Amino acid sequence: MASRGRGWLAIVAVVAVGVALTLLVQERYHHRVLTLVFLWAAMGLAWNIISGYAGQISFGHQVFFGIGAYVTVLLVVKAGLTPWIGMGVAVAVAVLAAVLIGMPTFRLAGIYFGLATLAYPLIFRIVMDWLGYQEVAIPMKREQPGWFMQFNEPRSFDLLALGVLAATLVLSRVIETSRLGYRLRAIKENEQAAEAMGVDSFRCKMAAYMLSAAPAAVVGAVYIHAILFIVTPEAVFGLLVISQTLVVCLVGGSGTLWGPLVGAALMVPVSEILDTTVGDRLPGIQGVVYGAALMLIMLGAPEGLYWRVRHAFRARGGGEATRLAIVAPPAEDGAAAVPTETVLLEVRGVSKAFIGLQALSDISFDVREREILGVIGPNGAGKTTLFNVLNGFLVPDRGEVRFLGQAVTGLRPSALCRRGIGRTFQVPRTFQHLTVLENVMVGAFVRVGPVHVAASTARSALAKVGLADRADALPTGLTTLDLRLMELARCLATAPRLVLLDEPLAGLSGDGVAVMISVIRGVRTRGVTVVIIEHTMQALLRLADRLIVLDQGRRLAAGAPGQVTQDPAVIEAYLGKRWLARMAAR
Amino acid sequence: MLTIAGLAVSYQGLHALAEVSLEVGDGEFVTIVGPNGAGKTTLLKAISGTAPAEAGRVAYRGRDLGALRPSERAALGIAHVPEGRRVFPSLTVMENLELGSYRRAARAGRAQALDEVLGLFPILRERHRQLAGSLSGGEQQMLALGRGLMARPDLLLLDEPSQGLGPRIVEQIFETVDRIRRERRLTILLVEQRVVEALELCDHGYVLETGRVVLAGRREALLADARVQRAYLGA
Repeated sequence: MASRGRGWLAIVAVVAVGVALTLLVQERYHHRVLTLVFLWAAMGLAWNIISGYAGQISFGHQVFFGIGAYVTVLLVVKAGLTPWIGMGVAVAVAVLAAVLIGMPTFRLAGIYFGLATLAYPLIFRIVMDWLGYQEVAIPMKREQPGWFMQFNEPRSFDLLALGVLAATLVLSRVIETSRLGYRLRAIKENEQAAEAMGVDSFRCKMAAYMLSAAPAAVVGAVYIHAILFIVTPEAVFGLLVISQTLVVCLVGGSGTLWGPLVGAALMVPVSEILDTTVGDRLPGIQGVVYGAALMLIMLGAPEGLYWRVRHAFRARGGGEATRLAIVAPPAEDGAAAVPTETVLLEVRGVSKAFIGLQALSDISFDVREREILGVIGPNGAGKTTLFNVLNGFLVPDRGEVRFLGQAVTGLRPSALCRRGIGRTFQVPRTFQHLTVLENVMVGAFVRVGPVHVAASTARSALAKVGLADRADALPTGLTTLDLRLMELARCLATAPRLVLLDEPLAGLSGDGVAVMISVIRGVRTRGVTVVIIEHTMQALLRLADRLIVLDQGRRLAAGAPGQVTQDPAVIEAYLGKRWLARMAAR
Repeated sequence: MLTIAGLAVSYQGLHALAEVSLEVGDGEFVTIVGPNGAGKTTLLKAISGTAPAEAGRVAYRGRDLGALRPSERAALGIAHVPEGRRVFPSLTVMENLELGSYRRAARAGRAQALDEVLGLFPILRERHRQLAGSLSGGEQQMLALGRGLMARPDLLLLDEPSQGLGPRIVEQIFETVDRIRRERRLTILLVEQRVVEALELCDHGYVLETGRVVLAGRREALLADARVQRAYLGA
């Protein structure tokens, strides 16, 4: 991500270029093209807030465009209200509509969300027909053209549209560089991991949806006054609006504020030129050429032109060398490394069944403060299910979980994270397109708001796991050990009282295991309690104060490691006789 | 059977493998061990064609694999059982196995291969109508192995079959791998973190570090090597 100052400067530069073009261009028709570029760029940016940053693809975003157009024009027609004020009302209505649409629709994930959003513009089209608003013309106000947004001078529309674009760019930039922006990108990459790191995904998505509805409504209102003059349901709620929005974003690239700008600057003039040149002679041919141009760009730059160019620059900058040495783990002192008598977590009679499978039956145990408790058992015994209940991914069918003396059964993962329960995953769940530092910052945002404070929290968490030198790398280039360390740092950045580590040693080689053990001990030394699922028994025996054994969803045994590993039932179900023989041989 | 010479692979400017050379003879069991980031998984991917080689040569039965796509390499009899199992979670156990014998040469012998695989892993017969995603980790690993065998391969690439499995299941998996090798005379290239168990199985072993072969030798020599003992066996 570019430095803060440079981003703002670029926005100023875009506005300056826009103003210069407005002054340079002479013909009325060229002004129209310019206005369209600004408006479609702004509309693309609006869509980009919910679909680009947050990854919630909306195929029905023209619903807010249409609301903006209809509300503004109807206020002029029915109440004689100036569109300058009417736009404000339209924005309020659009944001309210976003809340009403979002409430039910954000219960759906992925493509189902996108498909559901298709329905809303259709509903509005039918309602507008039914209300008798098949065609609403803007009444001419010759005596007060400026007050009613009916300029004679086409430059005025250029500047108005440019103003809308500038405001949307600023809004996008503010979101991109704020806590919300990081959280939205985390949700896009991995919603479950984001929830577990304290991100309330529903609230964040709703905020993004409301923020993206507002500029769309303004664009709709201005578009009607600058281009159409007559509102029809087809013109503002129809498919052409959303397809133009999508084209602009897909060609330019989504998830960045520059993408829609690039896309609009390229595709809008192309489509207009085609309309006026070949379209005159061979009606319909412009659509074919436009489609072909679109396909060519998609083939050459499937993720959008902006990202294509950016990656090309990155690649030329050259890569980094392989990291040779494993960073020495931080030293530990034994002072705080003893469990206290305080019970931090109580699990009472927890049961959870899936269709046809009793994953957990009547599990009870305590976790004491500053303890390292190992959870072992054969694959499929219910260990990860237990973690999913403890961090809120699953609600148990029966039983209770108490944390710090309070009942926390059934709370959302983000709420449990705020109370101090952090976790890592069996297969590391990273935010792939965020750097290592930004990944950890998402965790830090649970406790701190400002971005620079979160960055310094994240840096210190990375230092605790010995990963400080990888802060700016992307997760894709990391080894399994580094990925697991990064996930642990992200979890520590949430300032947890209790961490749940799901197989932190899986896939690690001997020296990697040594590093991880030392880091986990360091975590406990700092006063954090650890519950750990692990199959690497030698390592676990060196680490854990106590073990609990699960088998087929039941608690098979619990106690000191030495005692548990001698238990015939545990040997039969999990360890195997040969393991015992191997251990004895060492 | 497999000859690798001067193989180099990079990801986004990071060198995962630099000039790796090794040989696997017909019917041989070769184990590769080494720390995280050494390039073990990348090596297997470069053989099966899922990671592009930057330099060097991978030859299978004397034929250069360089220009062949992963599916074409599979058709030559190379089966890759990837790290983390990668079964098709929303297909049934049986469908997963049938997809293993998609290769033309394997389709004729599908019934016999199925018998053999279900004989090796009776639990898969019990669960044949269950979705693969609902299996336990150990069962999924057996399914991944079984799917690899359904292709009736000549060369089996195994990437960390023990990862994330309990001690008893690990013993079982290693025993089965050993049995497959003895009964089917398969050539096997195994990548593992469980150094002792994996080296005990092999004829030849290689130690990979930061993308290079730093040590190679026969099983007994490697297990007795002071560097291996110190670095991996905790002696």
